Amino acid sequence: MTGLAVGERRSARGASRTRTTPRLSRRGRERLAAGLFLAPDVLGLALFVGLPMVVCIVLGFFQVDGFGGYTFIGLDNYRRMFADPLFLGSLKTTLLYLVVLIPGLFVVSLALALLIRQKFPLVGLFRGAFFAPNVISLVVIGLIWKFMLTDQTGFVVRVLGFFGISSPSWLGSPHLALWMVVAVTIWFAMGYYMLIFLAGLQDIPREYYEVATIDGAGVWQQFRHITWPLLKPTSFFILLTSTVSMLTGGIDLIYVMTSGGPANSTSLIIYYIYEQAFVYGEYGYASAIGAFIVAILLVWSVGLFALTRGGRFNDARD
Amino acid sequence: MGISRRSLFGAGAGALAAPALLSGCGSSASGRKELVFWQFYAPTPVGGSPDVVKQSQWFSKMVDDWNAQHETKIRLEYVTVLGNPKLATAFAAGEGPDIFLLSPGDFARYYNGGVLAELTPYMEPAAVKDFFAPNMATRTADGKVYGLPMEIEPLAMFYSEQAMEKAHLAESDLPRTWDQLLDFGDKLRTRKAPPIMLPNLQGYYQNFTWYPFLWQTGADAVSHGHSGFDSAGAKAALKLWQDCIQTGIAPRTSPVPDSDAVAGLGGGYATMSLSGIWTVAAFKYRKPKYRYGVIPLPTPAGGTPRTALGGWAFVANARGKDPETAAKFCVWALGSMEQESIQRVVDWCTVAKSDIAPRASALAAGRKAGGYDHPVMKKFADEIFPTGRGEPRYPPVVYKAISDAIQQCEFAGADPAAQARLASDTIDAYLTSYRGVKIL
Amino acid sequence: MPATDTTPAAPTRPARARTTRSGWVRFAVALVLAVAAVFPLLWMLSGSFRTPDDVFSPSLLPAHPTLHNFSYVLTQVAFPRYLLNSLIVAVVVTVVALFFHSMAAYALARLRFPGRDTLFVLIFSTLLITFPVILVPLFLIVHTLGILDSYAGIIIPSIFNAFGIFLLRQFYLSLPKELEEAAIVDGCGYWRVYWKVILPLSRPVFAALAVLFFLANWNAFLWPMVVTTSTDLSLVQVGIAAFQQQHAADWNFSLAASTIAALPTLGLFVIFQRRIVESIKTSGFK
Repeated sequence: MTGLAVGERRSARGASRTRTTPRLSRRGRERLAAGLFLAPDVLGLALFVGLPMVVCIVLGFFQVDGFGGYTFIGLDNYRRMFADPLFLGSLKTTLLYLVVLIPGLFVVSLALALLIRQKFPLVGLFRGAFFAPNVISLVVIGLIWKFMLTDQTGFVVRVLGFFGISSPSWLGSPHLALWMVVAVTIWFAMGYYMLIFLAGLQDIPREYYEVATIDGAGVWQQFRHITWPLLKPTSFFILLTSTVSMLTGGIDLIYVMTSGGPANSTSLIIYYIYEQAFVYGEYGYASAIGAFIVAILLVWSVGLFALTRGGRFNDARD
Repeated sequence: MGISRRSLFGAGAGALAAPALLSGCGSSASGRKELVFWQFYAPTPVGGSPDVVKQSQWFSKMVDDWNAQHETKIRLEYVTVLGNPKLATAFAAGEGPDIFLLSPGDFARYYNGGVLAELTPYMEPAAVKDFFAPNMATRTADGKVYGLPMEIEPLAMFYSEQAMEKAHLAESDLPRTWDQLLDFGDKLRTRKAPPIMLPNLQGYYQNFTWYPFLWQTGADAVSHGHSGFDSAGAKAALKLWQDCIQTGIAPRTSPVPDSDAVAGLGGGYATMSLSGIWTVAAFKYRKPKYRYGVIPLPTPAGGTPRTALGGWAFVANARGKDPETAAKFCVWALGSMEQESIQRVVDWCTVAKSDIAPRASALAAGRKAGGYDHPVMKKFADEIFPTGRGEPRYPPVVYKAISDAIQQCEFAGADPAAQARLASDTIDAYLTSYRGVKIL
Repeated sequence: MPATDTTPAAPTRPARARTTRSGWVRFAVALVLAVAAVFPLLWMLSGSFRTPDDVFSPSLLPAHPTLHNFSYVLTQVAFPRYLLNSLIVAVVVTVVALFFHSMAAYALARLRFPGRDTLFVLIFSTLLITFPVILVPLFLIVHTLGILDSYAGIIIPSIFNAFGIFLLRQFYLSLPKELEEAAIVDGCGYWRVYWKVILPLSRPVFAALAVLFFLANWNAFLWPMVVTTSTDLSLVQVGIAAFQQQHAADWNFSLAASTIAALPTLGLFVIFQRRIVESIKTSGFK
């Protein structure tokens, strides 16, 4: 869009000087237009996301039997939550998962982006290779890794065995299974976040590095003083979106790879909600947990927004 | 359509309700009433081995026969076993199928939710008595029948004769007690492969296969409205499975599904596999030449032989389009004294599958027709089935407490005594506020 | 981890000329990592050509390559039908969603109206909603609309996703403002500005979003499974999961089925790799 945009921008400047339309009526027209432009999505979101969420919040105050029976129980579901060892365990598992996954994903994708930032032979192919897992469904991803990690027969186990290393049970040990899920998730998602980092890196003027090199700045110093600060908006975007999507998605992967086991060690909160709702029929309780998680995410996002007010989100306001 | 739905959603979605009322619901819109039967056999969209095809045919034939004789038609709809959220979602929205298959583990929820139609009014008393009582208990409430089992599936230990011979073990080496089971596993254990497959994936199925070990000790998870889990028996049964995993006798994960002993033994992954009677038909159709045998589940010193009886039942949705016809269909299919109905049970249990027929008449007819001549089937019918108790219908909280205890002991090396106590406390806390069908 | 290696030596364009030493180091590292990254996918592919006896073998290539798994899967299961269903759903959702989202994003980014920021925050906050929680109410709404078990039932609720609005808004914010103002002053209505100025400028970001939307819908599982009952409407992921359930012990079949499900997206990706990657990269997701 470079050439076109610049050209149009110039003509736009010229034209704006000859404003003739009366301001007031324009505002009215602008509002009406905005309303019409927004209508399809806003109605759709309200109907298919907003309304269900409202229902979910309301249901959080009910005991629901899953067959049309509703009993108002006030805050009992919330009280139950904080006395439910499974919920608390699941919350802990999820925190642990996020604390490792989010930075891990961040570092791996950034490292890949930095690695393939410049041209070298076949760089396009490598970039494609890193992104490739992302085009496959989590159901299939889960199957592949289950196949590769199973005791006795999995490829990983066999290859290690070939070198005389006896594998632990990757998916059958409570202290390992969660890390396997984390590793697979990083492997799955790294290509996507790598591309976003690449986009961010592209915006950093090359001259900065050239000047720094002339000044004798080392690789680390360049990263520390140029790349990192200028990448902040991208980093923020990635932190925000990856946290949200990792916390709210991925249920198919758990379902196929571990079913939440062994010994609940991979029962993330999203899986616990799913189980409460669809295996145990506890919609009220599941809704309360869901509302709680949405609230936590809301706090997290608002916090991030507030912390990074200098970031990109408030840039182009008028 | 479930007009009686005490619908909270209805209020929330008030504005949306009008078009739905006008258009009516689903298939009834065309005027001709058609009842929908959700199950996971037919019409099979995912193929399968010859046994699966046979089972699919049985379902199709049954429904064709009904449709030929009756005004109200039935339509089979295939729902994958993954379809848990589908059935749950459908019922939560008042759109449950008219007829569906239910396992004992889900009975309490569906019964307490009031969606199971009573079948007794359409059954002859003789037919009610014809069903084996220990297996019917979990489908009955206050003496009324709410589900008709299509099969009885007892659990036992399957073993590979080939693998036994290779390890120079004779039939007399087969374990009869828990200690012998551990010794047996120890003898067979190699560096690579744990020799005895026990279901290891957390879930209802694992619990189902563990209960017999609990019952053999004389203990029970729930008795007389209280937890019986904080008991020496529960601890011992938890310890047994823990030992099997922790000593490497049983695998932590397996390349084949828990319940598939044909793949487990036939694929050479194990010498022995805890599985159900359905394995016999699976062997017959998938690996007909494979030599295998079966023994009852080993018992603890001084314990009684016990097994759990699994299997699914036909149930009718009390809030469906036409509960009465749906109920009549269930009875017509599996629970009338007509020869046709009895024969259908025989066919299912001895031709399409290899199960114990849930009715005395059908079991007798099946025996006469040679359905239980195979030595393994004979052993199941004569020796193992009589020690059976129906799969429990524990509500989710009770099930989950037990599941956690098993999993924690097996995989996290937790202390069985502590886990038994923990589970017991959870169960007791739940039972104080539980109201609903008697927990069995 | 080469995370700190940011040598700015080679500028992007004339790099073809000579590869520096650090370039070769990068090449070597990238080669190892790339092979590791695609290995599981190649392993699936390799497994799908194996016989049952060979399927767990750690040798890289099948001992006796066979097409039997594919012919079995294709004769047993109506996969072509499922693939077609998935294609229809993914394409329709993608096209409609791009259209609606760009309209909404344009309004949020460029038009002034009261409550704009509040509305944006509200829209953004729908991203935080976890799907399993709203599954039952959503099912009920779709039921009330009378579109259960239909393409519409799968498609319509899948269209509305704040992520696309959010990204497009970010993109539109970054466009120079004078652009449409000129057009408006020239007497164009807002619709014409959107149609003539905004949409053409959106092409790169659309390309990237289209890829993401298509993938997300092609790979969707839970909602399509819940909302459809007739197998004629099954999408490929649901088909694959059901097939896998039925054939859980036959990994050679499962892997062949997985390959069939993955092949269309992988194939498209291989063909359009460069463009897809470039468009995501330059789309302004940042």
